[in-house]
Amino acid sequence: MSPTVTLPNPNSLHSSRQIPFPSSHMPPRRFPTSLRTHVIPSFNASICGFTQTHSSSGTATVSRRPSSLYEVLRVKRSASFTEIKTAYRSLAKMYHPDAIQEHDSDGRDFIEIHNAYATLSDPSSRALYDLSLGAQFERRPFGFSTGNRTGFYATRRWETDQCW
Amino acid sequence: MAEPAYTVASDGETTGEEKSSSAFPEIAIGIDIGTSQCSVAAWNGSQVELLKNTRNQKMMRSYVTFKDDAPSGGVSNQHTHELEMLSGASIFNMKRLIGRVDTDPVVHASKSLPFLVQTLDIGVRPFIAALVNNVWRSTTPEEVLAIFLVELRAMAEIALKRPIRNVVLTIPVSFSRFQVTRIERACAMAGLHVLRLMPEPTAVALLYAQQQQQTIHENMGSGYEKIALIFNMGAGYSDVAVSATAGGVSQIKALAGSAIGGEDMLQNMMRHLLPDSEIIFSNHGINEIKSMGLLRVATQDAIHKLSFETSVQIDVDLGNGLKICKVVNQEEFQEVNREVFEKCESLIIQCLRDAKIEPDDVTDIIAVGGCSFIPKIKNLIMTTCKRQELYKGINPMEAAVCGAALEGAVASGINDPFGSLDLLTIQVTPLAIGIQADGNNFVPIIPRNTTMPARRELAFTTVHDNQTEALIVVYEGEGKKVEENHLLGYFKLVGIPPAPKGVPDINVCMDIDASDVLRVLAGVVVPGSQQPAIPVMEVRMPTVDDGHGWCAEALHRTFGSRLNLVTVQKKMQQ
Repeated sequence: MSPTVTLPNPNSLHSSRQIPFPSSHMPPRRFPTSLRTHVIPSFNASICGFTQTHSSSGTATVSRRPSSLYEVLRVKRSASFTEIKTAYRSLAKMYHPDAIQEHDSDGRDFIEIHNAYATLSDPSSRALYDLSLGAQFERRPFGFSTGNRTGFYATRRWETDQCW
Repeated sequence: MAEPAYTVASDGETTGEEKSSSAFPEIAIGIDIGTSQCSVAAWNGSQVELLKNTRNQKMMRSYVTFKDDAPSGGVSNQHTHELEMLSGASIFNMKRLIGRVDTDPVVHASKSLPFLVQTLDIGVRPFIAALVNNVWRSTTPEEVLAIFLVELRAMAEIALKRPIRNVVLTIPVSFSRFQVTRIERACAMAGLHVLRLMPEPTAVALLYAQQQQQTIHENMGSGYEKIALIFNMGAGYSDVAVSATAGGVSQIKALAGSAIGGEDMLQNMMRHLLPDSEIIFSNHGINEIKSMGLLRVATQDAIHKLSFETSVQIDVDLGNGLKICKVVNQEEFQEVNREVFEKCESLIIQCLRDAKIEPDDVTDIIAVGGCSFIPKIKNLIMTTCKRQELYKGINPMEAAVCGAALEGAVASGINDPFGSLDLLTIQVTPLAIGIQADGNNFVPIIPRNTTMPARRELAFTTVHDNQTEALIVVYEGEGKKVEENHLLGYFKLVGIPPAPKGVPDINVCMDIDASDVLRVLAGVVVPGSQQPAIPVMEVRMPTVDDGHGWCAEALHRTFGSRLNLVTVQKKMQQ
């Protein structure tokens, strides 16, 4: 999980403090994508790596590696609102930490499912996400969240993305 | 029956996840500790059943009476008259006092109770004491609650004929994580392990989800969804929840809550009947306690009567030449408690707004708790939700405890052949959690009503050139300023590489895991470096202990603004 290190970007001195963390609090649109992909994972991986000590289900997520939010919810791109809701509930029954009898889940899978649901259940954020998929940005759909409050990328995604 | 001895377990014991070795897992029981009343329920293999004490009561008054020999609570003991509870020897309203500091207005309002609540207004735990043989004997809300829980546990063990260890407790929505730790400590003192803590209306939502699943019994693939608004008001707290229910999954959309309840209405009415009652009773003399008890009982009776009658005659001799002879009508009662009713209304409106639900989209309105019998409360719920009637399928006094018992069975891994336990609650955070930044502002990192488990991050930076240390002060609440919120803990980030202000990137991450444990992580990145400058700090919160009201002020006095942080790109967030 070594971070992708590149030559220092001329902008990095100025803007690396504006690292958009995988959180919706900060719409990351303003930042050049290249900068983000190089800088953030290194830091984020360290936090994730640190927390990994009490997360054991991380590997499960890594192995699944869904390529889109639709895949996370296991629905078609054309799925209706009701289908998305239903899929979310069915998956919640399987992946919510309360639904899993073994106490080794830290809820990462469910966070990912919920984040996918949060994006796809809101018509405007779903439209933007679809747009980003169309523009073939599957790998980093986070570049197009544009102020969506809930965000649609699970923290774990960063790590998995980075492992590519 | 009154068992004076209770073992105080270590703090660590509350966190231990003990796996039952027996083939049959212990089914956790549900406990609803109300400010005024308390009940216990358990899954009996096919349904939820309320447990009864030796006097065949399902609802027990929440109080503990201190006597010469041993304290005894409302489970085993029963006063022949309400006044006995008000003699100063009994401590009640524990739920209003637990985990609060002596600057809290709720604590101040408790000073007119018959037992002693003393405040020094310095941000420490209030001093509470019971009158035993003309001596004020000190205790703590945790201890009183623990004594009460020991009685409840003994009662449940007799009723179920098995040892009880695991419990699901209901708590008010407005409880801070610090208050939750005090509840957990009281449980540990009583030898109970808290399997889950459920905000009260979410327990009701779970019961509703089960009822809906049983009545419709559709395949969950249909996605037929019911939206419920649950309003719960007891003696001490009001809570609102909006839930979306389908296929046994109760997804909480939003929560709202406040420490207002029947106790506030009672005190407002007492003040209305005897305007200088607080001054008269403030010295807690024997005669004053007696008068206070008489007034309290008379007022309570009047409020109960006003649920059925338009006016009520109050005629009470308080002794010491104090006599109250007055007719109080509905309008007066409503006027005196206008603020309480307005607050209830605003909680419902806020909860609907947070859930992004229009009143018309709500399938069922559920009103529970003792105050839901008050006509004005019923009316305001129906008016606010633009509805003609309330949901009738739920017992207002038993709903929360039944929901807690259901959760107890589900969380204990019990399966029901008929699918009655095929349930899941998706909870949200009742309060925002964030840190102090941008001066004295509270900057939320996990907003309220975020689905749990959750993990959010936010970037901050230094405010001074060459600032090498930063203080991360964690709060929980809804206020814009830190002092309006509950302090959860603090730690110092040291070793920030010297740099001009605004350059170091300080990332604060908050993580609520599956067992509702909050961890705060903080790390530093300096431009040009690809690696964190210092090891990431990870702190489990809350870290504060009793007397934490002091801490924020002490930190401010010691450090001023030297170790402050500001948010990065504050404007962009909006």
